[in-house]
Amino acid sequence: MNKFFYLRLAVNNIRKNGQTYIPYVLTCIGTIMMFYNMCFLAVVKDIGYISDSQSLRIILRFGATVIGIFSVIFLFYTNSFLIKRRKKEFGLFNILGMEKKHIARLMFFETLFIGFISLAAGILAGILLSKLMILLLFKIIAFKVTFGFEIPISAIVATVALFCGIFLLNLIYNICQVHLSKPIELLKGGNVGEKEPKTKWIMASIGAICLGIGYYIALTTESPLTALNIFFVAVILVMIGTYCLFTAGSIAVLKMLRKNKKYYYKLQHFISVSGMIYRMKQNAVGLANICILSTAVIIVLSTTISLYVGVEEVLRTRYPKDIAVNVDNISDKLADKLDAAIEDQIAKAGTVKKEAISYRYMSLAAIQNGTSFTAAGPDNYSYNKLTIVYFIPLAEYNKMENKFLSLSNGEALLYVLKGDVYGDTVNFKDFKLSIKERLASFKVVELTPTLLYNCYYIVVDDINTIKQVMNSLEVNAMDELSYYYGFDVDGDSNVQINLVKSLRNAIKNIGVNGYVDGPEIERESFYSLYGGLFFLGLFLGLLFIMATVLIIYYKQIVEGYNDKERFEIMQKVGMSHSEIKRSIHSQVLTVFFLPLVAAVIHIAFAFKVITKLLLVFYLTNIPLFALCTAITILVFAIFYIIVYLMTARVYYRIVS
Amino acid sequence: MALLEVNNLKKIYTTRFGGNAVQALANVSFSVEQGEYVAIMGESGSGKTTLLNIIAALDKPTSGEVLLNGKSISSISEKEISAFRRDNLGFVFQDFNLLDTFSIQDNIFLPLVLAGKPYNEMDERLKPIAKKLGISDILGKYPYEVSGGQKQRTAIARALITKPKLILADEPTGALDSRAAEGLLKIFNEINDEGQTILMVTHSIKAASHAKRVMFIKDGEVFHQLYKASMPNEEMYKKISDTLTMIATGGARNE
Repeated sequence: MNKFFYLRLAVNNIRKNGQTYIPYVLTCIGTIMMFYNMCFLAVVKDIGYISDSQSLRIILRFGATVIGIFSVIFLFYTNSFLIKRRKKEFGLFNILGMEKKHIARLMFFETLFIGFISLAAGILAGILLSKLMILLLFKIIAFKVTFGFEIPISAIVATVALFCGIFLLNLIYNICQVHLSKPIELLKGGNVGEKEPKTKWIMASIGAICLGIGYYIALTTESPLTALNIFFVAVILVMIGTYCLFTAGSIAVLKMLRKNKKYYYKLQHFISVSGMIYRMKQNAVGLANICILSTAVIIVLSTTISLYVGVEEVLRTRYPKDIAVNVDNISDKLADKLDAAIEDQIAKAGTVKKEAISYRYMSLAAIQNGTSFTAAGPDNYSYNKLTIVYFIPLAEYNKMENKFLSLSNGEALLYVLKGDVYGDTVNFKDFKLSIKERLASFKVVELTPTLLYNCYYIVVDDINTIKQVMNSLEVNAMDELSYYYGFDVDGDSNVQINLVKSLRNAIKNIGVNGYVDGPEIERESFYSLYGGLFFLGLFLGLLFIMATVLIIYYKQIVEGYNDKERFEIMQKVGMSHSEIKRSIHSQVLTVFFLPLVAAVIHIAFAFKVITKLLLVFYLTNIPLFALCTAITILVFAIFYIIVYLMTARVYYRIVS
Repeated sequence: MALLEVNNLKKIYTTRFGGNAVQALANVSFSVEQGEYVAIMGESGSGKTTLLNIIAALDKPTSGEVLLNGKSISSISEKEISAFRRDNLGFVFQDFNLLDTFSIQDNIFLPLVLAGKPYNEMDERLKPIAKKLGISDILGKYPYEVSGGQKQRTAIARALITKPKLILADEPTGALDSRAAEGLLKIFNEINDEGQTILMVTHSIKAASHAKRVMFIKDGEVFHQLYKASMPNEEMYKKISDTLTMIATGGARNE
């Protein structure tokens, strides 16, 4: 036998199965290209020039990992679909006298062929695209472009290794599939599973319960820190719920409809309900996949877009003052010296300060229980009762607000920024403070960025009282108070950046422990972080959309072949062509838009908890996020419809 | 007036690019009276199935016409043809053509649901038919759960439930074992005795020997006819067999 026989046969097989293999190869090329590009960006030298390159690299490396994991799952899923369709072909080879080891050899050559083409084309396309990618990334993070062309060997090695692994995994799976089954089973391979599905009430109930709990968590979570912890749990629950409800719930509902004789024996319902029961059995997992992928695309895109669009606002929220100086544990004397140094530097920078605020305080991380507070340990920082209490001596308060209040020992003024304290006393273990007055306003409010936790300001008579509180809670308090000095300046970005730099030097010279920051000097790192996320969102969004398109495409093909026969029978029994077309159209439509509708419902429920999560990223603009979400859904829906219409054409070509 | 009249039917298939033309029916004329049981026989490629498809309005003739109750089938518009087929014709196919997505009962109901009949009426019609065909016990099952004979009886029930003027059967015993085939032919005789007109296309001499009249088609024309009258099945079988041998050996017409 000609030694190229298997190779030629393999190439021929792929060409004959072009309708299913070409999309598969294109997807392989696409994922390889994207994975290479993400690896490329994660190691490329140009990114090293960005000041905050580390966090950007972490994001990109995370992206590469996600794409890698996704590629494994997705290509495996696609491959198992392909092999199911080809079982009959292999069965025929088997019966015509090919041994299973010959079939294995044939499949090896097929895999080799597909793998070689995909890797060669994917990496080549990836290399060609990489320059464009880095230009896009730099454009997004507003970084000046550097020139040069780089092909990092490590990225190529990683890509080749991962995808060779995937192809090998698929080959082993295929060989096992053929090896474990008898020729007759192979011949029937495409036709198994025509039995009517059973109603799985337990699974449907589990799905409903999981979804309910997931939604409940999403709706009731108030604290952003809790949201951060529990969001993942809710996502997993909703995913389980989606899978269970799509597989078991849909069939349970349809069977209930079938039991209702008056409803069921009507022309449109009769055909579509019975048809849907079978469709759901075959497609439920695929549809659940589409639903989850769609939800992921919309959430990833809408959050990253709104973060990126809102980055200026985020900067202002995070840094309310143009320049803020914060120093811990500083004596009154040094504080005066710091004041003088700040004035000095402002004058040197040739600008003037505006809206200056300064005060001295001591902060306490506590756990609140009603009116009593205990110290928060290092493990409690994600706890949803975490509270920050700022103690301010009365003298500082009077100075800041231009008031002349007086307090005696054991008395306090309370300002609630976020949270609730009922009653007239607050307890710090044994130490009690009675609230003399609740303040209606407080200047410091505007200085506090978004609140992830409850926050109270307590004004007491002097520093000794603060120390007594700390002692009572057994906290290692600092000897001296902290000092905050914030102000706006008249000057452009360069002036502000230079001023921050000179102030940082000044603090070092005085010899105290503190930091100086402002929106201008932090802008670049914010852009590289939020822009990096946005870039990642676009990238993953694109990948998920590609996956969705492929799943829809294969689904249409399978549906087409299954419906062809039904189509013919119904016509013989006396259903007109237009009636059949209408009925099948409505079924296909339901099946394909169900995931999109479910995705939109998921997002509606997730909306609130996502706004809480965005608070962690200092994004407070909920209308902006709502707008981004709405636009993303709209664009995605339009895209989905286009994909549907295009693949529906393939479907109708098969059935008619 | 005859229930079914077929006049000078001609059908020529041409390939897509107008290449080789194949003549399936040359010139077929015959009529079927109310209450008749007619079998059409012929070799593969003799045009039997084409003839049946044209009578069923699934295909259009090149020339000639088919009259059912005096009404020309080709004059019915494309829109009304499905309803016409549903109301006047019942079909029994070789491969049953049952839908796997429906239970046996729902398969039988299908044409009635298409006609928009209420559930109660469907149920009333089903009961006597199911009893007669011996499928009352399997109504709740699915096609893949029952035997070939039961499937074919289901298909007959589906054909009968609309009370059609004419039942068209295409190789109804083709996929059945001999016992099931025997049972089916008995059922055909029974419903024919009750007045149902049946037109059956078949290869099987055994099946044809149950019919009241057998028509032989060769090269797209009606070649010969046999009337059974009071002849027992065995004798009819012999006669059909002889005729087929004669056709196969190229004998001339004997009429």
